[in-house]
Amino acid sequence: MPNTATRSGPDAPPPAPPPAEAAARRPAASQLQRRGARLGWLFASPALLVIAAVLLFPIVFSVVMSFSNVDVTGSGIHLSGTTTGNYGILFDSPRWRHALYFTVLYTIGTVVVEIVLGTAIALVLERLKTGRGWMMALLLMPWAMITVISAQLWAYIYNGVYGVLNSVLHPLIGHDVNVLGTPVEAAVAMAAADIWKTTPFVAIIVLAGLVMLPGDIVEAARIDGASAWTTFWQVRLPLLRPTLAIAVMFRILQAFGLFDLPFVLTNGGPGTSTESLAVLGYRVLFTDLKFGPGAAVATSTAVLVLLGCLLFLKVFRAQVGTEEN
Amino acid sequence: MTTTPDPRTPSVPWRKRPAARWLNGTNLAALLVALFVALPLYWLVSSSFKSTTEVATSDLFPHRPTGANYSSAFSTYHFATYIENSVIVAVVTTVLVLALGTFAGYAMGRLPVRGRGGIMVALLMISLFPTVALVAPLYLLMRDVGWLNSYQGLIIAYTALDLPFAIWILRNYFLAIPKEMEEVAWMDGASPVRTVVSIILPQALPGLFTAGVFTFVAAWTEFLVALSLDSEDRYRTIPVGIALFGGQYTTPYGTIFAASAVAMFPIALLVLIFRKAVVSGLTSGAVKG
Repeated sequence: MPNTATRSGPDAPPPAPPPAEAAARRPAASQLQRRGARLGWLFASPALLVIAAVLLFPIVFSVVMSFSNVDVTGSGIHLSGTTTGNYGILFDSPRWRHALYFTVLYTIGTVVVEIVLGTAIALVLERLKTGRGWMMALLLMPWAMITVISAQLWAYIYNGVYGVLNSVLHPLIGHDVNVLGTPVEAAVAMAAADIWKTTPFVAIIVLAGLVMLPGDIVEAARIDGASAWTTFWQVRLPLLRPTLAIAVMFRILQAFGLFDLPFVLTNGGPGTSTESLAVLGYRVLFTDLKFGPGAAVATSTAVLVLLGCLLFLKVFRAQVGTEEN
Repeated sequence: MTTTPDPRTPSVPWRKRPAARWLNGTNLAALLVALFVALPLYWLVSSSFKSTTEVATSDLFPHRPTGANYSSAFSTYHFATYIENSVIVAVVTTVLVLALGTFAGYAMGRLPVRGRGGIMVALLMISLFPTVALVAPLYLLMRDVGWLNSYQGLIIAYTALDLPFAIWILRNYFLAIPKEMEEVAWMDGASPVRTVVSIILPQALPGLFTAGVFTFVAAWTEFLVALSLDSEDRYRTIPVGIALFGGQYTTPYGTIFAASAVAMFPIALLVLIFRKAVVSGLTSGAVKG
């Protein structure tokens, strides 16, 4: 992660242990330094140990498992020998390729809509004079909602017989619509549910970015006679890029790990048409009990997420980097 | 975020505020946004009061409001157990994360720990890891320890999952506190733990609220890990319970939404009370990290 490392570099504060000669001149300072460092490790170690034991170990184990022949027996699992066969199974499987295709497409689609819509909502909120506090509270509700609940709610709305969407559409087209019954419609319906739940979150992040923009630059543009429209596209949007980059990153990470919504709303269906990588991984692991291929699905998903984020950060590095210094 | 007018500035002479003044583009757009967010929520609450026959229609409101769904959530299904489980897991997780995260965040923000930049980046990377990549080994680990279908298994998993983000938020708040504060405490001979707890922590209270609300919401809403580790009915949390409500062929929507309304209530309250903390967490804590 070279770029993330350099990104945090500048804000990692100076007190690295001073060189020997400096320490000789200021023995008290260096002693304090050492004492502080020891204390730091003492303070940080309980948290770091929990994270290492419960997260780091599983991550490493998952990678090892994905490269092993895994036998599942009644008493547990048994790893034997190194193999790339699990990944071979994956790459040959049309189901995995479809899950990958679906997850990537779904991620791009929802993130683009959410960023555009979220920015538009943020611009409205910025101009809103009364009731902004209430709007913020309302916008936080979908964010804080249990995804499983919103999935059940949208399943009810989309129901092909008594769903409210059907009762709106039925008079218009003359027959019942079961959007969850056909692959493309089901995917779009799921994306709509996701957009409803997540756009407010994007809007709040973007609004904070808008509020923090230096007012004088925008003011200068306005004095120069630029319209609000031009000011937005030429001045404010470019300044907003770091904020948007962070919002996009967060969303890519969440969308790529998509699990709760398809698991409850469509159950991956119809067929396996809305099966995300996470749902596929879960099913291979816990339904089929194929731990080797399951670990391969999980590991490759993680690698793809990290690659996607790195790629995105690389594109935006200049902007994000300068802003944070 | 909102600016209140200074009462001392001479206010604009009395202005007419007819409805036409209110009816501008911004307010109309805001109204549309509010409807977009609120209508599905209304649908959930309204349907929770519908009788079994009415739930199978799309009438705009319950003609004969009934509380039957609420009682069936608690009598026919074991929703009280799920609430109890969720409260135990979310509260203990939040306390643990704040306790461990405060000291770790302080160390990362204020103490000369070597390589803390690297540690912070590593924490960020770990917290970005998709959960599905963790559940299988986590499941095997908990099974070996005998902690499947238990509180402690889920609590320790959530604590680890939510700690990195909490450490980031708290570190950012600690960084903003003036350095003189703790130097005075040190010179007065206060112990390090005492310095953190009684001098630094009160200064970072908003950060503590933010990290606390985020951790609680994360633990309250998490589904995949809870489904994998605690699927037994007795240990199901609310999300697992609501996802698995009903049988293979019928979905008791009325009961589901009654349970959902109950489950959403404490979170809605929390978010309303700590609105500022949540917004600052979504923005400064997350963005400035």
